[in-house]
Amino acid sequence: MANKEKNKIKLAIYWGAACGGCCVSVLDVHEKLFDIVAAADLVFWPIALDFKYKDVEDMPDKDIDVTLFNGAVRNSENEHMAHLLRKKSKLLVAYGSCAHMGGIPGLANFSNRQEIFERVYETTESTVNPEKITPQTKSKVAEGELSLPEFYNDVRTLNQVVEVDYYIPGCPPQSERLLEVFAAIVSGAELPPKGSVIGALDKSQCDECPREKTENKLLKKFKRPFEIEDDGKTCLLEQGVICLGPATRGGCGVRCIEGNAPCRGCYGPPTSIPDPGAKMMSAIATIIDENEPDAIKKVIETIEDPAGTIYRFSVPQSIIRRKIMPQEKKKEEAVLQS
Amino acid sequence: MEEIRIGVYICWCGTNIAKMVDVEDVARELSEMPDVVIAKDYKYMCSDPGQDLIIKDIKKHNLNRIVVSACSPRIHELTFRRTLENAGLNPYMFQMANIREQVSWVHDDRIKATKKAKALVAAAINRIKWHESLDKRTVSINPSTLVIGGGIAGITAALELADTGSQVFLVEKERKLGGNMAKIDLTFPYLNSAQQIINEKIDRIEHHPNIRIFRNTVIDEIFGYIGNFNSTIGQNGTEAELKFGNIIVATGLKSFDPSGIKNYGYGKLPDVITSLEFEQMLLNGKILTKEGKEPANVAIIHCVGSRNSDEHEYCSRTCCMSALKYANQLRSAIPEVNIYQAYADMRAFGKGCEELYCSTSRKDVMFLMFDQQKDLPVIMEAKADDSCKMVIEMNEKLSGERIEIPADLVILMVGLEAQDDAKELARSVGISMCGNSFFMEKHPKLDPVATTTSGVYVVGNCQAPKEIPDAISQAKAATARIMATIKQGEVEVEVITAEVNEDICCGCKTCIQVCPYTAITFDENNSVSVVNEAICKGCGTCGSACPTGAIRSRHFTDNQILSQIKGLMSKSLELNEL
Ligand SMILES: Cc1cc2nc3c(=O)[nH]c(=O)nc-3n(C[C@H](O)[C@H](O)[C@H](O)COP(=O)(O)OP(=O)(O)OC[C@H]3O[C@@H](n4cnc5c(N)ncnc54)[C@H](O)[C@@H]3O)c2cc1C
Ligand code: SF4
Ligand code: SF4
Ligand code: SF4
Ligand code: SF4
Ligand code: SF4
Repeated sequence: MANKEKNKIKLAIYWGAACGGCCVSVLDVHEKLFDIVAAADLVFWPIALDFKYKDVEDMPDKDIDVTLFNGAVRNSENEHMAHLLRKKSKLLVAYGSCAHMGGIPGLANFSNRQEIFERVYETTESTVNPEKITPQTKSKVAEGELSLPEFYNDVRTLNQVVEVDYYIPGCPPQSERLLEVFAAIVSGAELPPKGSVIGALDKSQCDECPREKTENKLLKKFKRPFEIEDDGKTCLLEQGVICLGPATRGGCGVRCIEGNAPCRGCYGPPTSIPDPGAKMMSAIATIIDENEPDAIKKVIETIEDPAGTIYRFSVPQSIIRRKIMPQEKKKEEAVLQS
Repeated sequence: MEEIRIGVYICWCGTNIAKMVDVEDVARELSEMPDVVIAKDYKYMCSDPGQDLIIKDIKKHNLNRIVVSACSPRIHELTFRRTLENAGLNPYMFQMANIREQVSWVHDDRIKATKKAKALVAAAINRIKWHESLDKRTVSINPSTLVIGGGIAGITAALELADTGSQVFLVEKERKLGGNMAKIDLTFPYLNSAQQIINEKIDRIEHHPNIRIFRNTVIDEIFGYIGNFNSTIGQNGTEAELKFGNIIVATGLKSFDPSGIKNYGYGKLPDVITSLEFEQMLLNGKILTKEGKEPANVAIIHCVGSRNSDEHEYCSRTCCMSALKYANQLRSAIPEVNIYQAYADMRAFGKGCEELYCSTSRKDVMFLMFDQQKDLPVIMEAKADDSCKMVIEMNEKLSGERIEIPADLVILMVGLEAQDDAKELARSVGISMCGNSFFMEKHPKLDPVATTTSGVYVVGNCQAPKEIPDAISQAKAATARIMATIKQGEVEVEVITAEVNEDICCGCKTCIQVCPYTAITFDENNSVSVVNEAICKGCGTCGSACPTGAIRSRHFTDNQILSQIKGLMSKSLELNEL
């Protein structure tokens, strides 16, 4: 008995720039949570348990067996915790789309800090801020100096900040996949090579998708889901809706398509695809049923928010990573030179 | 994985590269890149000593990847691949960076050019880390050949092949064999009889045991690939299933129809005729106007439908010399006739042609020059009291004067243009066209009779206007190529092809729709697409279209291309700062 107790693994769950959905997905295992708790000591989980960062700092290095890190790296606090948990964990798992590829917060890489602050603290319709107060990392108040984490210019994936052992994709990951992975870790089964995506398939969504696919993929107009009269049977792409299914790993159980919505790509690309957006763009290019540049341009213009569609969950991890900001570059250079 | 050991060689190309690129500096800087074992510069990499240098280094330093930075891969990629083979390396462990055509020849700032060269070489070094060995593949060759078009080019090719014992299928759209040559009287520049030559050949071809002729026939669809083509040919209500290993396209060109050129009144003025119609007169042995009289004044107008942005930009190449041929034939048929040549430029290159020009100009022929781009002559009916039937008004360029030429017969030297069904034919044999005019050869200089589809050759006028000897040379060149493959019994086919990873393919069929060579089929049992590698040309279209990344374009994998881009960007950022 005592032995078994000793064999319990130490588990930590942390959120960076995240919506909380990933932590909820852990709770979504329902009564199976008891199985988890039976096999693991939860040593750190801000959403559910009252531990302080200091408690983690006090742990010996590599004391935690597995850390599930969800959320992207948006600010200095996220980055600090990524480094800390890396140091304290044997296995660091990027859990969910944001830690894996940048996720929805990563879409902010189409703007920079200045633009975001302007929008959020000045121009939103509900904001009244005549003094243009924005968050400062240090501010003096009567009681002394207050500090806030530094908001970065861009969002990074977990592996752009620290070394990551495994990736469990999804927004959020399917709870069943988590249980499978967890069972494998606890049972001491041989783990896949470091750097692998686990809890997902190698084949794409389309492979699991029950909808019918034909050679008939020629489009003169792209449509948003509400613009089609879905017959419930035909591949959404063939009906003109951009579905990221082909460039997305299976594993979620085609849950969006089962709900008659196109796949948005939260499970990330299969290993065969280095950049899902680029891949999707060239695939889209080949199904446009026009030959003249002007006509092609018109068809492309029917795609609502193209970059946000093909890179919905993966901007920071993609080749483009972020919008180029020339003024900023000049400023940085000026700083460097001075 | 084996350790990556790269050798990098920067070529001077004599002074061609070295004068604009600091080759020593490039070699020195790139030698510092990871995995580069040695980087050297040398005067002529493609020379024997240059290649020996690579072979020695491969052995001495255990190199397993080679980058040569020199001229265009179109020129020497094969040379260096062979060098690698000679040193026992797989030929695809090679990458070329073009710093001549893309750098030294097009820039004039040595510092920037050197930087750009470094970026291109860095890209090649980055890429080659992802290279994989590729194995040669061969397919067997069916010794029969299909010849499409029974003009002089097609006939020559058919006879050459049949005489070696191979079977030939000759398909001719018309009832009559011989093409344009069968419609002309004498041939320039030596004024031999075209009929004698062509009739002898037609006679031979009709009785040749190895040649099967299909007249009044056009090819509909052709399936297969080099060595193993097949097609169903319908003729007189019966269908024949033909199998052949190679295809020669010899469909020639047709004469331009001048009715659209208002100035010349063709179709309205009865005695304005085309060169082809004049040939028919010569064949009939009588040069007469519509009224049945011998003409006293004959005008010959050049470049009709050629060298003009309204019709065709190109020169039809045979008409100048034909026009001189007519002057000679007119002079001997009607000794006292006045002959006027209204020309734009006289194109008399080639054996015996300038001589023909000189001798003709001594035969009392008037040469009058006009502006073919902007100022065409105008042919009008003469007034009742004129002694001639027609008057041609033109601005004579050499004298600068406006003149009138009397004419009873006007010969329009019509140009040559694509057959009406050329586009469909190009599609069914899988070749491309240069604009709307001629079939495209594989390389305009280095490979003028082959096409980008292996086993398909273009010969004679359909490749571009030319004289009979050139058409015959091309026909013989293509047959020599084909005979070589028949003798070998097999031929190497493209190894840079696409492959489908069946574990990843989701069966979306996007690739099938985009392949320009119809090389992909669907395997219904496994619900995956399959590339027929004997047909695939490695064009890469399907690889970029396949949304699941199931298709790998060998030698152009995503990793190879992305790392190449990264290598390029790593150095070209510095370029921007200049
Ligand atoms: C008026 C005139 C005078 C000329 N005089 C001279 C001269 O004096 N000296 C000289 O050297 N050159 C001369 N030429 C050029 C000469 O005619 C050409 O070089 C020669 O005919 C080219 O031969 P070819 O076999 O390539 O094409 P063609 O002679 O054009 O033969 C092509 C054949 O292919 C057939 N064909 C076309 N499409 C198809 C199809 N889809 N399927 C099956 N068959 C098809 C055609 O019916 C034709 O029989 C002259 C040309 C013209 C028009
Ligand atoms: S593109 Fe979307 S709808 Fe079409 S088969 Fe793939 S997953 Fe299903
Ligand atoms: S269908 Fe696509 S977007 Fe929806 S959950 Fe699955 S992977 Fe995510
Ligand atoms: S060959 Fe002479 S007549 Fe014919 S297009 Fe060329 S320049 Fe004009
Ligand atoms: S690379 Fe793909 S598209 Fe191109 S020929 Fe081969 S199979 Fe067809
Ligand atoms: S495009 Fe790719 S995934 Fe689709 S059928 Fe072809 S190989 Fe398969």
